Amino acid sequence: MDKKGSGSTSALFFCRQLDPNQDVNRRLLEKELGKRIRFFPLPCSGRIDALHLLRALEAGADKVYVVTCPEGACHYREGNIRAKKRIAYAQSLIEEIGLERERLELIITPPGKRLTIDELARELLAREDKGVKA
Amino acid sequence: MITGERKPISEIKEMIAPYRKVLVVGCGSCVAECAAGGEKEVGLLSSALRMDAKAAGKELEVREMTLDRQCVYEFIDQLTDVVDQYDIVLSLACGAGVQAVAEVFPKVHIVPALNTTFLGETKEAGLWIENCRGCGDCKLGFFAAVCPVTRCAKGLFNGPCGGSRTDRCEVDPDVPCAWQLIVSRLEATGRLDLLRKVHPPADWSKQQGKGPRKIIREDQRT
Repeated sequence: MDKKGSGSTSALFFCRQLDPNQDVNRRLLEKELGKRIRFFPLPCSGRIDALHLLRALEAGADKVYVVTCPEGACHYREGNIRAKKRIAYAQSLIEEIGLERERLELIITPPGKRLTIDELARELLAREDKGVKA
Repeated sequence: MITGERKPISEIKEMIAPYRKVLVVGCGSCVAECAAGGEKEVGLLSSALRMDAKAAGKELEVREMTLDRQCVYEFIDQLTDVVDQYDIVLSLACGAGVQAVAEVFPKVHIVPALNTTFLGETKEAGLWIENCRGCGDCKLGFFAAVCPVTRCAKGLFNGPCGGSRTDRCEVDPDVPCAWQLIVSRLEATGRLDLLRKVHPPADWSKQQGKGPRKIIREDQRT
């Protein structure tokens, strides 16, 4: 399959505390995959707002992820808890217009496992492609 | 402040269904504070409506605007050169704001996106509580700034009903007994003697007995 040719697009909002080299790593993957994925680094996942998620969907994203630090490991104490609530609110909103709540997904990174943001994104995209093929 | 909650999108869609160009107008005052009708909520609703229309194959143009206040002419006037370009105005203001805009633009279709709920206080982030009924005859001075009309489920003026349990209201255990609060505050501020006063029944004519109320201040008029 053409790397840039899966057809679907994903937006990935993530806490930049997750990966110290996120700036380089995400740019390399964006360059490799083109419009397949767009990254949006946040100072903390708690900065996410339902409006960001809806705008991403409206702009054409088929799937929107919000990636947070492990539970209990937020650098700002409870940003990832807030992110969870905001996603839940946005999910209820898109359900009202008939979109599947799964279009918005919270990814809580596992504790103790150091992932770079591009590795994580590849995992998520591979899972998406697998889902499409199945 | 005046609080409100967004109507279900299905109800909003029904109201705007016959129209193709919608102006969504928020209000940056009370309903922005209660996260129902400010700029952000205008964006959320507009995005949702656009996506819904697209999914349904319907042509829909939605423009977003937010006024500082929708209940004051000087702010409403910002819509003057805009409203004529749209088939309908979807207002995220309180009922007063919706009606004020409607009065300024008599030929414009305007519908509410919110259900206006109560006069309240931001108790904590994400929690708003009703604490004023706008009865027109404020007696907070006698009751240690705790309104028995609003915060006592039975609206009692002359002491507690006796049904409270461990300072909670017997009608709703999530709510503190207003009379417990009144007595505690009067005691803490050395004003328990105020409880000796017997209050007659409230004069509800000051609230709704003569139709819609108005306030006239000649010194403020031009």
